[in-house]
Amino acid sequence: MTDKDFDLTRRAFIDGVLKATAAAGMAAAAPWAISAAGAEPAAGDRVRLGVIGTGDRGRTLIRNILKTRNCTVTAICDDYAPHLAKARALVSPATRAFADHRAMLDAGGLDAIVIATPLNVHAAHALDSFDAGLHVWCEKAMARTIADCTAMVKKSQDSRKVLQIGHQRMFHPTYLNALRRVKAGEIGPITQIRASWHRNTSWRRPVPPDSSDRRINWRLYRDVSAGLMTELATHQLQVGNWFLDAVPTRVIGSGSICFWKDGRDVYDHVALVYEYAGGRKFVYTSLLNNARYGCEEQIQGSKGTIEPELGRIYQEVPPKVLALQRMQEDVKRGHKRTVPIGGATWFPELPVTTPGDSLGWGEYDETMLQFEGFGEAVRSGKPLPGLLAQAYHASVASLLGEQAMDRGEAMTWPTDLVTV
Amino acid sequence: MTAMQPERFAAMGTRVELHLFGSDDRGALLAARRAIEAVDDALTIHRPSATTALNECLMAGRPCRINDPVLLDALVEIEEAYAATYGLFDPAADAARPGAGWNMISFDRDDARIEALRPVALDFGGFGKGFALDRACDVLRAAGVASAFLCAGESSIAVVGEHPLGGGWPVAVPHPLQPEGVLAEVELCDEALSISSTVGAGTAAPERAAMIRPTDTSVVTVPRTTVAIDRSGARAEVMSTALLVADDDRAGRLLDCGQARRFLFDFSREAAMPVQPGEMALQ
Repeated sequence: MTDKDFDLTRRAFIDGVLKATAAAGMAAAAPWAISAAGAEPAAGDRVRLGVIGTGDRGRTLIRNILKTRNCTVTAICDDYAPHLAKARALVSPATRAFADHRAMLDAGGLDAIVIATPLNVHAAHALDSFDAGLHVWCEKAMARTIADCTAMVKKSQDSRKVLQIGHQRMFHPTYLNALRRVKAGEIGPITQIRASWHRNTSWRRPVPPDSSDRRINWRLYRDVSAGLMTELATHQLQVGNWFLDAVPTRVIGSGSICFWKDGRDVYDHVALVYEYAGGRKFVYTSLLNNARYGCEEQIQGSKGTIEPELGRIYQEVPPKVLALQRMQEDVKRGHKRTVPIGGATWFPELPVTTPGDSLGWGEYDETMLQFEGFGEAVRSGKPLPGLLAQAYHASVASLLGEQAMDRGEAMTWPTDLVTV
Repeated sequence: MTAMQPERFAAMGTRVELHLFGSDDRGALLAARRAIEAVDDALTIHRPSATTALNECLMAGRPCRINDPVLLDALVEIEEAYAATYGLFDPAADAARPGAGWNMISFDRDDARIEALRPVALDFGGFGKGFALDRACDVLRAAGVASAFLCAGESSIAVVGEHPLGGGWPVAVPHPLQPEGVLAEVELCDEALSISSTVGAGTAAPERAAMIRPTDTSVVTVPRTTVAIDRSGARAEVMSTALLVADDDRAGRLLDCGQARRFLFDFSREAAMPVQPGEMALQ
């Protein structure tokens, strides 16, 4: 892709976000996206980022950071040498590399830290970074425990530093456009969201001779991760809270190691019901041995359903046939006119209008917009509005769901969360 | 002229609209809707129905008694339609089962029994819409409704009586390839109109199954639109479908039909005009 093509792709993406967020009700519903898309990155020195964790996800983040207009990767850090070596190949030779995050923080020369490490060390890395006077961008989920999530938010507030969590759907034009159509009343009041993330994979990666299963497959072990809940469900719980414009009141659930009995100790099947005020529900399943229903959120209202992953909207009552509507009006006026009608059978499904084409890795995508927004937040010292509350509540919801499954009892929404 | 709020709902895999004029009989309108939904319930293969139960029998090679009166009536019409279209309308044809078709089926309408020589399954397709509109029209006429316009997915239309302002219902079928163009203008009176097409908006929808030619189960790719007008909506559907897949000889015979109005538009030629029986040179 040429620079010109890239600029056009970027512009189309930004235009898509701005178009979706320009509608009534969207300013309050997605202020972070408006702020990130509306800010033309100021000229001048780029925001200097140090990346902790250069595994697959960390390297994907680096690729996106390098395409932003206001951020650069100044330092990288990983305690596993092969991952660090792969990251070195992506950045300039001048980029400093560290095996220990404290050494990177002590070396200085950074404005902010990007954290893409295993979940159980997110909080420690974030708190150390705040202590070093730096802003923090952290992969979702926020942390392994609700207490750690809260500690991260509190520390960010106390240190007056930006804490931004990576939830790319919050910047995705299809999701923003779907929310716009919800705000316009097109599917009526939402009473239920049925979401799933089904895969047919062990989720287990091959372990190189110089590494260990715990290091490579940390998602499969409870001391590090809550498995499906923190690695997958968090994304969709954020969508649920966002579209229902609330946090859950309580959650019930059941989890099991049903298929992959290979030594892991996180669930490979989870099924939960999150209850919201007014009797609304978010019904969720995730599993690892059947991919038929894939990843989707079915956002259900009295007038229709939106499935954003498919990019489609379904109306409960079909839209009017305009020619017949006109015929009715003509007859009322005593006017007889030919009815233009007929052709291939009308199908009930209408696609959600998705601004722009699909933008995969290597081009402009929502992850890059997150970083451009983060870069401006770091420069101004003001976080993207509304984003941290969404991320915090999504992480808490995922961990609360884990507790509900572990204990076999309904868990009510915590009352001791920090107000964001 | 009074015009009741139209009834608009989803059925038969598409949207249906029922417009009544000169009547305030809401009950008749709802009864017509129920008639259409009853056909949908009986003939659908997208959820458990009398037809899916029948298909299970036929696929398993078992004889089956038809207990559902709507399905039985549909099968009677299908049997007649198969003969009237020289086998071109065949709800048992299936690209996945070459050789399977209505000719493998033995249907005893008097005894309400059906069986097949080899595994087959029925998919009524567009026939169901015309069949459903017929039954809805019957309900409206029985209720004394004198003027109504019924539409199922814009490709299937039926009218009761005359236009509320007198005379026939003027209908213009849009050209599928020219947004502002008109393919045919017709007037309907107590008739049904069916349109089938391999081109135009919606024909590429991912949910739409390819149109296959029952005689050899090949996919019909020739760019055509067909229009059939008949007293019976079911027959109009059958004829527009048959014309779409017909070879030259059979298309000629179907078009040369005396009273009924049938049109075939072949867009593979430069000027898309109705093909007359005497000038069949289609592919």
